[in-house]
Amino acid sequence: MNRYARPLTVGLISASTLAYEILLVRVFGIEYFHHFAYMAIGVAMLGFGVAGTLLAVARPNRVTADSWFVWSAAMTPAALLASAAFVHLIPLDATQLAWDGRQWLRLAIVYLLLALPFAVGALPVLLSLLVEPQRAGRLYGASFAGAGVGAALAIAVLWIALPARALALPPAVASLGALSVARIGRGRALKASVAIVIVLSALAIARQPWRINVTPYKGLPQVEAFPVSRRVVEKTSPIGWVVAVEAPAFRHAPGLSLSYRGEFPRQIAVFVDGDIAGAVNTPAGTREDDILDWLPSATPYALGDMKDVLVLGAGGGSDVRSALVHEARAVWAVELHPELVALARSSVEAEWPSADVTWVAGDARRYVSAATRPFDLVTIGPGRAFGAAVAGVHALNEDFLHTTEAYVDYLSLVSDGGVLSITRWLTIPPRENVRVILTAVEALKRVAPNDLIDKLVVVRSWATATVLVKPAGFSVDEVRALMEWAGERRFDLAWYPGIEGPVDGFNLVDDPILYRAASAAVDGEDARRAFVDSYPFDVEPVGDSRPYPHHFLRFGSVRTFLSDRGSALPFAEWGYVALLATLFQSAVLAAVLLLVPVALRQRVGSRDLVRVVGYFSAIGLAFMSAEIAAIQQLTLLLGHPIYAVAAVLAALLVFSGFGSAWSDARPAQGSRLANLALAILLVVYAAVLLWIARWLQPAALAVRVAAAVVVLVPTAFLMGMPFPLGLRHLARGDGERVAWAWASNGFASVVAAPLSALVALQVGSRALLLVAALAYAGAAIVVARAGNSSFSVTARSRAPG
Amino acid sequence: MRFRATVESILLSLAVCSCSVAAQEQDEDPKFKSQREAMVRLIENYGVRDAVTLAAMREVKRHEFVPDGYRNQAYADHPLPIGYGQTISQPYIVAFMTEILSPKPEMKVLEVGTGSGYQAAVLAAIGCEVYTVEIFGALAERAAARLERLGYDNVTSRHSDGHYGWLEVAPFDAVIVTAAAGHIPPALVDQLKAGGRMVIPVGSVYGVQNLILVEKDDQGEVRTRNLLPVRFVPMLEGLR
Repeated sequence: MNRYARPLTVGLISASTLAYEILLVRVFGIEYFHHFAYMAIGVAMLGFGVAGTLLAVARPNRVTADSWFVWSAAMTPAALLASAAFVHLIPLDATQLAWDGRQWLRLAIVYLLLALPFAVGALPVLLSLLVEPQRAGRLYGASFAGAGVGAALAIAVLWIALPARALALPPAVASLGALSVARIGRGRALKASVAIVIVLSALAIARQPWRINVTPYKGLPQVEAFPVSRRVVEKTSPIGWVVAVEAPAFRHAPGLSLSYRGEFPRQIAVFVDGDIAGAVNTPAGTREDDILDWLPSATPYALGDMKDVLVLGAGGGSDVRSALVHEARAVWAVELHPELVALARSSVEAEWPSADVTWVAGDARRYVSAATRPFDLVTIGPGRAFGAAVAGVHALNEDFLHTTEAYVDYLSLVSDGGVLSITRWLTIPPRENVRVILTAVEALKRVAPNDLIDKLVVVRSWATATVLVKPAGFSVDEVRALMEWAGERRFDLAWYPGIEGPVDGFNLVDDPILYRAASAAVDGEDARRAFVDSYPFDVEPVGDSRPYPHHFLRFGSVRTFLSDRGSALPFAEWGYVALLATLFQSAVLAAVLLLVPVALRQRVGSRDLVRVVGYFSAIGLAFMSAEIAAIQQLTLLLGHPIYAVAAVLAALLVFSGFGSAWSDARPAQGSRLANLALAILLVVYAAVLLWIARWLQPAALAVRVAAAVVVLVPTAFLMGMPFPLGLRHLARGDGERVAWAWASNGFASVVAAPLSALVALQVGSRALLLVAALAYAGAAIVVARAGNSSFSVTARSRAPG
Repeated sequence: MRFRATVESILLSLAVCSCSVAAQEQDEDPKFKSQREAMVRLIENYGVRDAVTLAAMREVKRHEFVPDGYRNQAYADHPLPIGYGQTISQPYIVAFMTEILSPKPEMKVLEVGTGSGYQAAVLAAIGCEVYTVEIFGALAERAAARLERLGYDNVTSRHSDGHYGWLEVAPFDAVIVTAAAGHIPPALVDQLKAGGRMVIPVGSVYGVQNLILVEKDDQGEVRTRNLLPVRFVPMLEGLR
């Protein structure tokens, strides 16, 4: 075998499995919900560790390991194809897991099918380390670099192929790996097998053998089942699968006044990843546009003329139309999805061809950070579907639009008499609305701290609450105008300057929570703290370092859910529940599948064992924590999690690969220095990374991507070194120790993924970076205590087992 | 006053029993009957007190309204899938919504979103004149056939867009909208009688969480009220 063949194979196989992982998250996010996708993929990752366990139990000699290396590389495309094809045939209904035992069996089959390609794909990597331990750095580096390229490929293919079709990419890449081993392997059976998997992979590209089944509980299949509906647009990009559906029975009017008696416009439903994202009105006359003045989001226009309006999260363009109907002079519409911008733009331009509307396809926080002109109105609509807020399916979504820093930025942009308006769906008891009120007042304290009581208005409809913030303060006439406008629409003013007590208006509530929240927020810190502490949900404002404004369950509440035998499910936040479930199942399965079998088979001395397990667990935890924290913080810089995932994974893995390869030339004891340097670097990151992200936010995307990569390079390079150096220093090329190293690293990585997400959710990404730093520092201590003995290629090289 | 209310309640309960005799003539597995009894006791424990509602819940064979594969879970207190992303609501929520409507025999009720037909059957068992519309053709057909087979001849169903209500038979004493999509169609408010009530459950597939009650007073003025089902109040205490 020539010296490049093995690293090339390892690189290609690693590229295919990481691409598969990323594409699975997208596909499962569409088919089910994103939180379920993470839960499923979290278990699938166990496949990597299981491969190590299998080898630790089987203990192949070097010749056998080499033969297995060739065959596992040749079979990875088949495993990828089988997984993608069969997993879509299982009729799993994840919503019934709480009470339907059959679904658990289906879930187990799905897990097995998902884990299969990761287990098969991990074998060539691990076997290569067993066959050529003296080249651990280069081989592990090839795996890192391949994975980085795979991440970039997966994101790139989503620009041109629908997610289901994109699933054909990983088997194709793995086929190249199979091809490279077929050239060097022996035997007709091998060559025939490789030929078959290559043909099958080619067929999967030419004729997609699976289809995406979107759960019927999402809006898309429901609207498509309406009479005479038809799909009119279907676009894809890494940030979402956008579908527009024309259906006469579809109508979208969030929180429409019960007094409205006019006509409804014809609308096209727009979905992102199967969830409703808004509606695009087909060109209509003024009569159909009247409806816009009867929506809660029109509230700020009751204050008078809003000449320059900034719409954040323009969706299908409803708020842009509203601004034009209310005679705005100029409108700036910012929307993340370029496909939505195109749809909304064509609809608005057809009706108002000469209107001054600036359409921006991009991240709203980035736009706001770069904007220099003032606006009379900055407005954010309710978004999402009625009921989605109740279900808490977005609890785990990072959302930088509703952090305190974001509200400060918005308020800094409003003109002297300008207003910030935020409309959200109302839940019972209110959660998001309460947090919006508290966050708005917190931001006001930083921008215009005097007379807070005069600067806040809360308008409640039967389904929504709109918070208006005016740094200059509302006048008596303005409050009167709002009252009149709201009264005509049967909306209530839950809070306004001069209010003397809770208002019992058109929409009655048992407990005037919005009034109490606003009152506590403007009364001072003691009142605010007392309100927040006594509230059943966590409604404390969130910042950029913990951007989870849709997460409200307290950690301690989990006990209530468990003790109540599931009948509290209506209050569950499904993202949060899924995260805890993922952590639990990962810990249990990883312990059973990775650690126990290895423990039963190995006979390594106890002190060595503690060192190996401690070291490789620590670096596994550290790598994953640093990766997740970096993704979260750089999301603010790059504008979308998917860009951050692509940039961080590609940069981190490719440069870790270089670091890993370079480590072959370094003494094994260098792992102590590498770990220490990483600990220090990550502490620095915790202090400055978010600040850098905010500082560079106004720059062009290319500059921001370049900056993200540059910032990550030194850390990534170092992060590639602890594993191969540790193998040489602590495992010393011994098959048993290598197995322990792989198993404990795999265990820590699998458990660290949900654990890191939980840490980020509870205490933020800065704390997560510090956790990673602590873990690397711990690894450095383990190495220091192990002394200077290390693996010597010439003296101690031997086949494992 | 309380005595009168009690007598009225007992008389209405008897009416419910007689109304649903036709529907209950067929033999049924005693297992389902005992499960249904247990379900009603649970609902009662959760705070539903209206005797008329409880009698109807006791009478209607819920297992006839769920897909075959879910019959053994028909009386468990959770929602079940019925296709097209729709669910049959958990029994407690059905009872709670029914109680809120203060149903009486002869009351004319419009249901938007027939689904399985179970809610319509419960109202029919009380003796209400039920009109129910469903946008999904297959669900509408199945529910209509089921209701006919079970003898609920005071339910009229049709496959149509609930946005327009049912003008030909309006006005209604009560309206249930189980397919709210962020707005309440104006026609439904218009077709509600003065003094009438409309209830809109909001939630997800995992269960209804809050209910919006729309009341039209005798002068035609409309007010809404967001209700937290009483069963959920103690849970909130546990979340603190």
